[in-house]
Amino acid sequence: MLSLSEVSVNLGGVEVLRRVSLLAPPGVIVGVVGRNGAGKTTLMRSIMGLLPLAGGRIELDGARLDLLAPHRRARLGIGYMPEDRRLVPQWTVKENLMLPLWAAGETTESSERLQRVFELVEELYAWRERKALELSGGQQKIVALGRALVCARRLLLLDEPFEGVAPALVARLRELIGKLKRERELAVLVTDSNDAHLSDLAERLYTIERGALTEALSPVANC
Amino acid sequence: MSSAFPPGKSMPTSSTAEAAGVHEFVAARDYTALALTLGLIGALLCATFVPAYLRFVLELALANGLVAMGLMVLMRAGLVSFGQGLYFCIGGYTAALAGTALGVRDVFALLAMGAAVCALVGFLCGLLIARYREIFFAMLTLAFTMVLYGLLVNNERLGSTDGYNVLPARFFASELSPDKFQLALFVLTCALVYVVALGLDRYLRSPMGYLGEAIRENELRVEYLGASVRRLVLIKYVIAGALAGLGGVLTALAVGHVDPDLANWTTSGEFLFMALLGGIEHVGAPLLGAIILGVVRSYALEYVPYLWQMMLGATMLAIIVFLPDGLWSIMKRRQKVGKTVGI
Repeated sequence: MLSLSEVSVNLGGVEVLRRVSLLAPPGVIVGVVGRNGAGKTTLMRSIMGLLPLAGGRIELDGARLDLLAPHRRARLGIGYMPEDRRLVPQWTVKENLMLPLWAAGETTESSERLQRVFELVEELYAWRERKALELSGGQQKIVALGRALVCARRLLLLDEPFEGVAPALVARLRELIGKLKRERELAVLVTDSNDAHLSDLAERLYTIERGALTEALSPVANC
Repeated sequence: MSSAFPPGKSMPTSSTAEAAGVHEFVAARDYTALALTLGLIGALLCATFVPAYLRFVLELALANGLVAMGLMVLMRAGLVSFGQGLYFCIGGYTAALAGTALGVRDVFALLAMGAAVCALVGFLCGLLIARYREIFFAMLTLAFTMVLYGLLVNNERLGSTDGYNVLPARFFASELSPDKFQLALFVLTCALVYVVALGLDRYLRSPMGYLGEAIRENELRVEYLGASVRRLVLIKYVIAGALAGLGGVLTALAVGHVDPDLANWTTSGEFLFMALLGGIEHVGAPLLGAIILGVVRSYALEYVPYLWQMMLGATMLAIIVFLPDGLWSIMKRRQKVGKTVGI
């Protein structure tokens, strides 16, 4: 369970997140909807440790997360898919997927986790030998999702996964994210600027405006 | 979870070895060991056929090549050190001082000491340097080497700008005649370069090596995927320092003399030149750069003593404009797609 309590972040003297509190239990997809500049990316980056907190605390299963460096957080089983895909363009898809395993210095468990991702996202297996730069932007998003999944044993952070993706691939991404509900251990936090994408996907929905988070009525959880 | 996969398609279970894969990438394209072995044989044959002065030029070039290879490890991670002369100089002075002050005369002991001292200094300086990137990284490395240069120039006991003589070293406790010593040192240099090149080649194709490329592309990504970039940079910096130290020891032993110029920024600039000339795509590239620079410079000094630096500048210009990835890129048949994604 990911929990944020009263998290504040300042950027250049401006308060970008204001006392944000959020819960993301395992096995649940949590959506955060807000306009551009509302603080979605800041929220993701601060959970990952790429931005310092001005106040509050972040915990994963009761352990303080906000005291750890980003790479230590990643090793706890947090996968992060940033808004821009950030693949290594001249590497093959598989090399890109291996990157988190190399980063964590793990090689024994590696095949298992890579296998899991290949099973979950079949097209990645088909693309494995292709260079990332040969794929379309939307396809690269799927690779980035796969790479985040390699890391994500306990928490997956998806920052605007549908942004700038062709409709056909949006459907595929939604299908893939929907599949993750079956992963009992995994909490998924996903942001978007449009609640049309998330309203039927997320079981718990927050809206974010000017850095303040409010829990919205969650349509799925109620039925 | 396997149910998530359509039954009709063959699942990757049969290819566990493939998915397991770090080693798969290593096996893919590997003529390196063969080429290096041929190079070693060629160099050793050279030793018997070419005149002694040319062998000496080659020997110094190979010692410089060790430094340039270390620099390549940094450059592949997008880090440009303008101060490898620091370790080159420390290696040289370690060899000189260990001989006179401590009575260590064995070549292998001197090499080990030089590398160890440089690794230690590299670790300590690296604790600070590894926090910086780009121009700040370059300037800090430059600053450290100029500090050493200043200290040495002002130190009368170490001979100030005149430098310090290196006592002849011994191979396995036996004192060789100068001719035989130079020959033995040349063979040792070749062997050392061979071993280091093979080792570095493996390193570059290991997870750590791949992470270097990923750092160059985007450092933050490596961080949020689970590796401490600062630690990786520190390790690479220490490796580069130790290799520069080895080069310094070999140079000191071959020349028989060390002076503060080893730490001067022009020396560091030359190592950079070698890496740019050869390239950084392969361990062989900086070696090639070092050898070409060494040989061309010694002939140029002979025939056009007043123009050679201008020639060097012109060459540099030509390389940057026409072969930005160094001479090595001629050997590698480049794909057009790869071209669009530079550093």
